[in-house]
Amino acid sequence: MEKSEIETRVKKVIASVLGAKAEDIKPTSNFIFDLGADSKQSVELVAAFEEEFDIEMDQDQALGVQNVGDAVAFIANIVNR
Amino acid sequence: MSAQQKKNIKQIFFPESIAVVGATRTKGTVPYDIFENILDGGFQGVVYPVSPGAHSIRGVKTYKYVLDIPDPVDLAVLVFPSSVCELAMDQIGQKGIKACIVISAGFREVGPAGVQRQARLQAVAQKYGISIIGPNCLGAINTDPGVRLNASFARKMPDQGSIAFLSQSGALCTAVLDYARGKHIGFSKFVSFGNKMDISEVDLMYYLAEDADTKVILIYLEEIRDGQALMKAAQDVIRSTGKPILAIKSGRTQAGASAAASHTGSLAGSDEVANAIFKQAGIERCSTIEDMFNKAMALAYQPRPKTNKVAIITNAGGPGVMAADAVCDCGLQLAQFSPETTELFKRALPATANIKNPVDVIGDARSDRYQAALSGALADPDVAGAMVILTPQSMTDIEDIALTVVKTRGSNFEKPVYTSFMGEADVAKGIDILLRARIPHYILPESMATSFATAYRFEQSLKVERRPAPVFKDVDRARAQKLLKAAEGKRHLPEAEATELLAAYGLPVLPYRVARTATEAAKAAEEIGFPVALKVYSPDIVHKMDVGGVKLNLNGAGAVKDAFENMMAALRKAQPEATILGLNVQKMAPAGRETILGLKRDPAFGPVIMFGLGGSFVEIFKDVSFRAAPLDAHDVSSMVREIRSFPILDGARGARKCDVAKLEECILRLAQLAVDCPQIQELDMNPVIVGEEGKGAFVADARVML
Repeated sequence: MEKSEIETRVKKVIASVLGAKAEDIKPTSNFIFDLGADSKQSVELVAAFEEEFDIEMDQDQALGVQNVGDAVAFIANIVNR
Repeated sequence: MSAQQKKNIKQIFFPESIAVVGATRTKGTVPYDIFENILDGGFQGVVYPVSPGAHSIRGVKTYKYVLDIPDPVDLAVLVFPSSVCELAMDQIGQKGIKACIVISAGFREVGPAGVQRQARLQAVAQKYGISIIGPNCLGAINTDPGVRLNASFARKMPDQGSIAFLSQSGALCTAVLDYARGKHIGFSKFVSFGNKMDISEVDLMYYLAEDADTKVILIYLEEIRDGQALMKAAQDVIRSTGKPILAIKSGRTQAGASAAASHTGSLAGSDEVANAIFKQAGIERCSTIEDMFNKAMALAYQPRPKTNKVAIITNAGGPGVMAADAVCDCGLQLAQFSPETTELFKRALPATANIKNPVDVIGDARSDRYQAALSGALADPDVAGAMVILTPQSMTDIEDIALTVVKTRGSNFEKPVYTSFMGEADVAKGIDILLRARIPHYILPESMATSFATAYRFEQSLKVERRPAPVFKDVDRARAQKLLKAAEGKRHLPEAEATELLAAYGLPVLPYRVARTATEAAKAAEEIGFPVALKVYSPDIVHKMDVGGVKLNLNGAGAVKDAFENMMAALRKAQPEATILGLNVQKMAPAGRETILGLKRDPAFGPVIMFGLGGSFVEIFKDVSFRAAPLDAHDVSSMVREIRSFPILDGARGARKCDVAKLEECILRLAQLAVDCPQIQELDMNPVIVGEEGKGAFVADARVML
């Protein structure tokens, strides 16, 4: 899957789960500091990514991902394995 | 201006505006509760929630970043998860905020990754000159009505009061606040300082010294990182302001003591040392939270007793006797009433009453008898303070008596009144009246006596004249350093070098020679003068006595030769791998009392000096005292006199007094050596023989561990 497609779908999931505006979701955006994710939303995000991409992610590793760009890379790594 | 004063502590307690950085809308979470507590506590300034995911919290507009706040901000309260605290701190710095409470956990307390995270956070804070409380803390409270700051996750704002509480544990704070609320104990400031990344208990103590609302400072400590700074701060605060400091130090442990190689090391466990040094600094160490507040009430609510003479007023004989016993056990005395007071009691109390101290107003006493007894006792010139005991009997008007005590104390405010309304359910309303009126109440008469004694001792301690100890100019520091340098890499100094080291600091070592043969030993003994002692001289043998390496009181060359041959033969057999360089032939000390002087370098408090009655049984009797070096004149005098067996040195049972002045000089010289030579980890001078008054003291044996 193309990285650009992954990025688009990741942003869509983030906007849906966190209620963030699309223009605020940038590759450098930190889930907590910039987008306001709390611990419950962070778990919901992981679940939503798994559903969106039909993948399974290691929970601890996934929750360690800090920003949008890293999430795209993390998911791309699993999807394109 | 001290380093402590430079920290922006005032902004933490007296902010006009606060940003809660990382606040959320999720009820029941720390970030939400902190924001809510600031609002509900009645904060008198402006609060800005910084919450990137929310539009408003509790009707207050939020800001995505702290940099978005249009107005200046005095204090940031950081509640983000630890992973983004560094990012938040950078913006706090850019915003120009100079004070921050970091509530967030996940730093030094969670291991190596947390240590690194904390170091990065600290670097950012230092870059912007931000003063920090925390991280990993409950927060801070200021009850001043002009501020009303509850920047913590404690449920309720405590009452206003004159006690400041500083705690390393956040969870304990909530329990303390709840305990205090039940007893109507108010606070001036309340701080949980957590990992003390920047602002420590030492900084806060200096701040509270200047805080007009604080009369008493309480501290709960789990770990002492810089014991010397803590000690100095306590001494500075107590001596300059007269504010008492009470502390609980948890984590008592014997670890470390068991591995010690000297008597001093073995006896100077971390808890014994902490006990002694708290005392030296003037800090009242408390064993429990209850003990701490019992004493704090006495010190904060009441004038301090000027003497140790107590009047006890009771309506029950048994508790009166118990209180009298406790008074005597605490070093207090029962006051002797004047004839006028006795006459007054005769007139005011029934014939069956006991009008001597303890005054028993009898079981059917109502408030009028308590009033007569208490006001009469407080007016007596020999009475420094009163203890009022009540047991709930069917005719006892408990609440009236409580009100009478309050009223009577009010008209005699120069003397303290303490109370013990014994029981629980029946006396509850009376206790409530007393505590609301700031009259200390204790469930047990023993606690009442202990608290009275604490207040009395504290008052006395303020009168102690503090003179610096003399600095001995005759010491040969260069010689000592040369000896220690030559021994680098070794675990201990051989006895000859150890003796020379002590001699360089003017310590009265006995003359000695090293002998390699029996003939040399006999010749050396004749030169030194009989009687002499022989001691093995070996870098491999520390405990000479244990291996038969000491022979005392040898008179005559023949005895010396025989002892030399026998000892060498026995040692070669018993210690075949030890390098034996010869035997020391040493002058025997004149008769005297055996004492021990020692030194141990404590990881928190630095060089600690030990004194006690010495000899082979020192570790059994454990009658020793400790002080941190450097010592002042009062320290040395008090450490010599506080051991139980001091009367033996002071001429007990008709014996002649020992040369305590020379002994004190030896302790001071040892303290100077300890400060000058950080290479020395442990040192024993055991025994130091103290002769009669004017006849000096002599170091008979020494052991120096590096």
